[in-house]
Amino acid sequence: MSSTLKPYLTAVRHTLFAAMCVDNFSSQVIERHNKPEVEVRASKELLLTPVIISRNEKEKVLIEASVNSIRISIAIKQADEIEKILCHKFMRFMMMRAENFIILRRTAMPGYDISFLITNFHTEQMYKHKLVEFVLHFMEEIDKEISEMKLAVNARARICSEEFLKRF
Amino acid sequence: MILLEINNQIVEDTLTVKFKNALAGHKLEVTDVRIADFDGALFHISSPKNDKSKIIISICLKFYKDLQQHGSDQLLKDIYGSFITDTEDGYSVSLQVDLEKIPKNWEELVKKIGLLKRNCFAAVFNKYFDFQERGEEGHQRAVINYRNDETMYVEAKSDRVTVVFSTIFKEEDDIIIGKVFMQEFKEGRRASQTAPQVLFTHKDPPLELLNTNARIGDNIGYITFILFPRHTNRVARDNTINLIHTFRNYLHYHIKCSKVYIHSRMRAKTSEFLKVLNRARPESKNTEKKTITGRTFIRRE
Repeated sequence: MSSTLKPYLTAVRHTLFAAMCVDNFSSQVIERHNKPEVEVRASKELLLTPVIISRNEKEKVLIEASVNSIRISIAIKQADEIEKILCHKFMRFMMMRAENFIILRRTAMPGYDISFLITNFHTEQMYKHKLVEFVLHFMEEIDKEISEMKLAVNARARICSEEFLKRF
Repeated sequence: MILLEINNQIVEDTLTVKFKNALAGHKLEVTDVRIADFDGALFHISSPKNDKSKIIISICLKFYKDLQQHGSDQLLKDIYGSFITDTEDGYSVSLQVDLEKIPKNWEELVKKIGLLKRNCFAAVFNKYFDFQERGEEGHQRAVINYRNDETMYVEAKSDRVTVVFSTIFKEEDDIIIGKVFMQEFKEGRRASQTAPQVLFTHKDPPLELLNTNARIGDNIGYITFILFPRHTNRVARDNTINLIHTFRNYLHYHIKCSKVYIHSRMRAKTSEFLKVLNRARPESKNTEKKTITGRTFIRRE
């Protein structure tokens, strides 16, 4: 792990742990509604100050906390065009499977590549520390995976062109 | 499977079965097979008017009239000789084989027929390679609309023949992956000294095609091959044609393969992420567990 990645992930981990303090909270505006306040944004006093942790200009995490839910948005490093389409494809692929992922949000927040929405119901059903672990695992792996895919495409292109041109 | 086959396997297989059956003296049957190939080519293998002893192999190429201008009829006549027959309605070229008079070297014949599409293409290249060999300049460049919206240009100079392909990338992602591939093709000469020079331009046509009606657009790429005499001489010529006429399909095939590979990786990774996420769920305690003998195991708490 590179020297800048570790403190970045540590910061995210601690912030998430702190933000994971959510509780069941019914809507105070509409009767019999119980919705994630971070999405509804109906009353200001229920929202906490959002935190942005950034490793550099392109890689950052936005953590928005509220009384009964937190929203985590991740911007993934995209150095060039090919990484951009790989990232875009991958995120779309995952978001189409959002039902299976439970905490995955169907669309990402503007400016970010992928968003997770964790509500009090999720933290009641699942271990909080494991949820944090998942988000961190995701952040670590996604960079690795995208650069590996890029390498694979490049390698394939090289082999193809060599094979073709060798025959002349 | 890195390189695409230039022959048509299905045509060959169909004919091989027919010939073998005929040679073994089996009863002849009516044939009617339609086969699609690259570049919108369609093969039709059939028996003419209920005459089971004959087989007609027809190929339909939308751009055949472009090829005809460059002497494809003559070339096919040279190759297939007396097998060429009256062209079937709606097709470009037809060959007829008599199952009662199968030549001894029928395996060669099958191979030859399998290469029908390639041979249709070959005429254009042969013509321009000849121009180059004789040092003739100033011939109009050949324009072959080998697919809808996609065109191939061949031009001869005294010291080289340039072949330009215009190709359309249907999706934005294809453009980017295509660029990666083309970059490698450009640099491919490092691997092999004998390879032709390859140039790639995106959006705008190369300088050779300036002032023509070559299309300009975001999703269009132009690939230029510069073939030198060492590729166009009589010995190397066939090999060059074999390679170059499949280039467009080769490129697109590998772009698709890359996308498939990326997709399969994403699928694998996504299921791995799911596993990690599911670890966050506590195991439910009251699932029924069985012991090895089949009795129900009840946890005592």
